[in-house]
Amino acid sequence: MMQHLSYPDVVSYAVPLFIAAIALELAWIVIKGRGGRYETRDAVTSLIMGAGNVASGIVLGFIAWGFFMLLWRITPLDLGNSWWIVALCFVLDDLRYYWVHRFGHRIRWVWASHVNHHSSQHYNLTTALRQTWTGTFTFMMVVRAPLILLGFHPAMVLFVGGLNLIYQFWIHTEAIGKLPRWFEAVMNTPSHHRVHHGRNARYLDCNYAGVFIVWDKMFGTFVPEQDEEKVDFGLVHNLGTFNPLRVAFHEWAGIFKDMSQPGLSLRERLMYALAPPGWSHDSSRQTSDQIKQEHLRDHPEDRGAAGFN
Amino acid sequence: MPLQVLLPLVVVGIGAIAMALHLLGLSKPRRFADTDQAIQAWLREAPQSSARDAVLSTDNQAALIALSDGFGLVWCFGADTVARPLGDATYHNTPDALIIRFSDMGAPQAKVNLSDQDREIWHNTLGIS
Ligand SMILES: [Zn+2]
Ligand SMILES: [Zn+2]
Repeated sequence: MMQHLSYPDVVSYAVPLFIAAIALELAWIVIKGRGGRYETRDAVTSLIMGAGNVASGIVLGFIAWGFFMLLWRITPLDLGNSWWIVALCFVLDDLRYYWVHRFGHRIRWVWASHVNHHSSQHYNLTTALRQTWTGTFTFMMVVRAPLILLGFHPAMVLFVGGLNLIYQFWIHTEAIGKLPRWFEAVMNTPSHHRVHHGRNARYLDCNYAGVFIVWDKMFGTFVPEQDEEKVDFGLVHNLGTFNPLRVAFHEWAGIFKDMSQPGLSLRERLMYALAPPGWSHDSSRQTSDQIKQEHLRDHPEDRGAAGFN
Repeated sequence: MPLQVLLPLVVVGIGAIAMALHLLGLSKPRRFADTDQAIQAWLREAPQSSARDAVLSTDNQAALIALSDGFGLVWCFGADTVARPLGDATYHNTPDALIIRFSDMGAPQAKVNLSDQDREIWHNTLGIS
């Protein structure tokens, strides 16, 4: 059984590419006068979040890696490392990404980590790098367990996960409208992912795809970008801070504050961590489902339309 | 990639992008043109609320929004805006501003720049001394 399979650390090799692409997008926006927006502090915060994400991987990566190697010792299966096994691993890992991402929006404990990716009101290539520092604490590495138990080597699983992340970089742009139909039908694109970053009632909780948009179509979470409704980027309640520490930890602080308030039942305390974001014991806040329902009360004509099924 | 290469690359990269953005004038603070724009910004955050009236700060970067059940603050944040109800906010005066603090780690405070004249209006509206 292979123990020492190694792949290049693709994300760090992509850093020069990220910087060059950001410069290119910025030049495009400045010269053309369209195709997106940049603001200095917003972009710097996003870039620092990206750097911190890599740093947290270096510091905390051993936890997930230890867990994966444990599974690798347990499993009797070994699929080897032929190119088509790597390709299959990439596709299945993208399915894994879809579910982790969906949990990331529907379980507040996981949202506490993922929220920072959505915390900019901008949508440009720096937004792609606004990544979490606290992913390890969500325990979402367990969703990768089936892959390793099936016989995909942990190094391969991390390698294809890195490729997945790199793919998602270029779709964070307003400079690209819609791509050829066959491509939009199969792949995650700037158009599909813009919708995912929307705070419009219509666009909440959809398009969780990483690389292949087909997962959203299979599992009923696909909403196409509407020409008549421009995406309003950001959070339902946008952040009023550029401080990376606050961006990284504010929702965790919110969970602990909510869970520890006096007079709650044990179930209510757990719901503050495990229910969808916006759940509250006294209905003082709104979940995305409630926001959509409220929108439909004011706009009954939207019932059954994209994003309001 | 070795850390001795990656770290300088990241630091120089972030610095260069920040410098370029700043020199391109993309650090320019946003301002509300008028009270209508401030009310629109409030309604973007809270579409279900009734925003009846707005009072702008001296530099037009913040506005007090009168609601049917209290007050809200909407303020400029980078190129965009942020809004919060003032229910649990606390107020602190500095010589040229009113600092409004929220118990919200994601929006800890807003600085509202006020002339003496405007300060009186805000204090009277909010009922603070
Ligand atoms: Zn997301
Ligand atoms: Zn994204």
